[in-house]
Amino acid sequence: MTEYAAQDHDPLALESELPSSPMTVNLGPSHPAMHGTVRLVLTLDGETIVEAVPEIGFLHRGFSKSSENSTWTQVLPYTDRLNYVSPYLNNVAYVMGVEKLIGLKVPERAEYIRVLTGEISRITDHLTCIGAIGLELGAFTVFLYAIEARELLWDRIAELSGARVTVSWMRVGGCANDIPPGWVEKLVECLPRVLELTDEIDVLLTRNRIFVDRTRGIGVIGGDEAIDWGFTGPCLRACGVNYDVRKAHPYSVYDRIDFEVPLGSNGDTYDRYVLRLEEIRQSHRIIQQCLEQMPPGPIIVDDWRYALPPKKDVFSSIEGVMAHFKLIMEGIQVPPGEIYAYCEGANGELGFHIVSNGKGKPYAIQVRAPGFPILSGLPRLIKGHMVADIIPIFDSINMIGGEVEQ
Amino acid sequence: MSDGGAPKTPGTQPAAVSTGGGQAGAAAGQASIAAPPKTVRLEVDGRPVEADSRDNLIEAARRIGVQIPYFCYHPRLSIAGQCRMCLVETSDAPGRLVPGCQVRVKEGLKVVTTSPAVKENQRGCMEFHLVNHPVDCAICDESGECKLQDYYMEYDHQPTRIRTYKLNKPKREIFGPLVVYDAERCIMCTRCVRFMDEIAQEPQLAVVQRATYSLIATFPGQPLDSKYSGNTVDICPVGALLNRDFRFQSRVWFLNKSPSVCTGCANGCNVYVESRGTVAYRELPRRNEEVNQVWMCDEGRLTHHPVNDNRVEWARQGRGDAAESVGPRLAVERAVELLKPLAGKGGIGIYISAQSTMEEAAAALLLGKELGAERYFLGGKPACDEDEFLIRADKNPNTRGVKLAGEAFGVRVEDRPPEGVKAMFAMRTDGLSDAVAQRLELLVVASQNEDEATRAADVTLPCMAVYEQDGTLVNWYGRLQRVWPSVPAQRGDTAPGWLWVERILAGLGYTHQVKSTSVAFQLLSARSADLAELTLERIPEQGVVLPRLLPAEWPKRAPRPSAPQAPRGPQTTPPGTKVGDEASGGSR
Repeated sequence: MTEYAAQDHDPLALESELPSSPMTVNLGPSHPAMHGTVRLVLTLDGETIVEAVPEIGFLHRGFSKSSENSTWTQVLPYTDRLNYVSPYLNNVAYVMGVEKLIGLKVPERAEYIRVLTGEISRITDHLTCIGAIGLELGAFTVFLYAIEARELLWDRIAELSGARVTVSWMRVGGCANDIPPGWVEKLVECLPRVLELTDEIDVLLTRNRIFVDRTRGIGVIGGDEAIDWGFTGPCLRACGVNYDVRKAHPYSVYDRIDFEVPLGSNGDTYDRYVLRLEEIRQSHRIIQQCLEQMPPGPIIVDDWRYALPPKKDVFSSIEGVMAHFKLIMEGIQVPPGEIYAYCEGANGELGFHIVSNGKGKPYAIQVRAPGFPILSGLPRLIKGHMVADIIPIFDSINMIGGEVEQ
Repeated sequence: MSDGGAPKTPGTQPAAVSTGGGQAGAAAGQASIAAPPKTVRLEVDGRPVEADSRDNLIEAARRIGVQIPYFCYHPRLSIAGQCRMCLVETSDAPGRLVPGCQVRVKEGLKVVTTSPAVKENQRGCMEFHLVNHPVDCAICDESGECKLQDYYMEYDHQPTRIRTYKLNKPKREIFGPLVVYDAERCIMCTRCVRFMDEIAQEPQLAVVQRATYSLIATFPGQPLDSKYSGNTVDICPVGALLNRDFRFQSRVWFLNKSPSVCTGCANGCNVYVESRGTVAYRELPRRNEEVNQVWMCDEGRLTHHPVNDNRVEWARQGRGDAAESVGPRLAVERAVELLKPLAGKGGIGIYISAQSTMEEAAAALLLGKELGAERYFLGGKPACDEDEFLIRADKNPNTRGVKLAGEAFGVRVEDRPPEGVKAMFAMRTDGLSDAVAQRLELLVVASQNEDEATRAADVTLPCMAVYEQDGTLVNWYGRLQRVWPSVPAQRGDTAPGWLWVERILAGLGYTHQVKSTSVAFQLLSARSADLAELTLERIPEQGVVLPRLLPAEWPKRAPRPSAPQAPRGPQTTPPGTKVGDEASGGSR
């Protein structure tokens, strides 16, 4: 009895922490904040994250296998669905790979169109990311502003390709159509509004006490470690590492365009946000230069082995109908070989590893989706933080289910 | 071309091995060589080639996978040099182009197939071939297997430079019962003319008019009615000659091509059956030097019609108008119910059509044994025309096989109309007349098509076509050949004949367990010395010869088994290269 009484009144025992056991919690896949349908299996110690295991596959569509059973051109719609907020960039990276295998030189106007549409896509991608961060930290207005700006641009994209998201507009050797008359004027008209909305968001968030508290120093990763994880794009540049494919390995006409690569310093959620804001402004600069420099001329190579003949020739000449038939039925004959083609996607280095065995269909296609290594690093970013920090961190890496899970 | 000039094939057949019709053609361009072939070393595009001294440059290049394009050349026909696509450079004639089809290999010859001059000639040739070609791909049956399309994309791929009207020519000349001709699509390669002269040996086609106005034509009052006219369609490299039976029926890229053996006569020509869904659309010859070379007859090309039309689809019981579909289980139960009281009592006959596979015949014989059948009858389609090349008088693919199966079971299979029995089981009903069927007290049939016998049968069981099932057939000279399920069989209650028998046997209480074609084949291989040590799986694609069955007399030009020879033609084609004409007899 005495023992019991002594223990009962031990002041140390009262102040010691309650014994706790780790708790496993599912976040997602159907949680509204887990964009792109991903599941995080969290091991929590109270509110603190001990361990996190991302589980992907809910958006798996069998991209590689589907591509192996499609002609080279039929793969394009599948690439739209990789990163579906910046589909033009996927199109471009893929056709660049096929063109590299063939050794095809694309007409200059098509190159400018590719850069132009690619940068529009980059803006829409970044706007989506920023809007989501704002929304999920309580700033609903930011989301509305971002989506308004994004829709302005997606309207322009729809006028160009006929679809907001599933554009399938690039072709091996160029692009499907020329820019329609009056489109450039419309774009020039809507760009200031996009910038204006971006500035509004900047004003609303960047020095907002709540926002800064929730994002600064959260999800920090150093440059070297980010490289080890395979980070590219805004997530890597937020750590201060100056790597942008557009500058490091200039492709298309990026070497003729004057733009800057913004860099962060802390590698935290806040930097990733600020960097994207700045990239929107840089993309705007690139678009304006494209519009100034874009020459008139053909938008696709004049070689019927790769590009469909004009309809006039298909309907009225045997040569045209044969070329059309062979391209549609058997596909472009790409010489045997293996290639890695890459461009700066909205989230980082978007690469296509393509193998051809000389037939009309790809032998194998593998995508280096920028989001995949970054999502792999997510457990590292959120470990030790509170549960509530997961959402802004997850938002700031801008995981896109389509490209990560293919 | 006379047979005399062709090289004698070295073979084990003792007396005069005559060269078959196709071999005469194959020897074209080699005809003047009397000496046995030897190896010749030459260089093609800088790579060494060991060629046969009878090879021309096209065949020599093919040995290392270098493709020299051609329209008019065919390995089994004489050389025409019409199309000019195969021009290459050789060290013998520097600065000039020579036709690869006509020039024979020579020791140390250097051949160049990729020089600018060669490429420019190929491009120019294609341009000229297309000058008057109509814009027809969308409505042309050849689309998808057309050499013009293939070569245009490979060697020309440029827009037209013609600014005038195209020449109009006759567009749908009915040449004969199976062939229709479109002169606008014709590139005047003359393969069809040469085929009729040299292989069919019925010169029914000729070139008329001159230059760009030239046409292929039949002679006045003489249609293209040769029994081999369908082969001209196969070897036509473009859509000029088309099969009237197949025309506008299906686009070729929708068809599944699957190997089989023609069921039209006892020759057993190797064929590809092309089908879409459960419907068979056409047959094309499949290369087998010892059976049909790369040809087949017109009648054989129509053998897919019984697969599609007038099928028995549902198992039924009851005669004539009283017949009702009852499903496979009840129909088999009814057959068992009717046969059981008669088992061992005598008066039972077994009718086996020679349209059955070996396995179906074996199963029918097994049923006969178990029922104590007294007599066995050989049925089949009636004999008809024959010739000295590929057409046999016996219009059934497996007469020798049914007889062999009978021997294996130790029974006499009578080749006469059934009589003297009260009850009968018929494995396929070909040749079973209404009169015979009506006389029977009990008739159970497994049949593929509706006919007199199925109307008179007490139980009718739907049987799969030969093109729809696994099995074996023995041709007229004793070659055991495999067939495969080429056409997907998804009609009604259809099942292979041997399976119906197995179901009846099981109903009667026997446990033979004939659960697969392999087991059905073992029924025979276990009983026959000719088939000993053979299994269904061990039969090669080209078939095996059962030596005891070889006949003493051979039709003059019929292909026959020979000693192993150095393989020629597509067998030398390295993997990955496009298969040439000779592979299927087709245009590609």
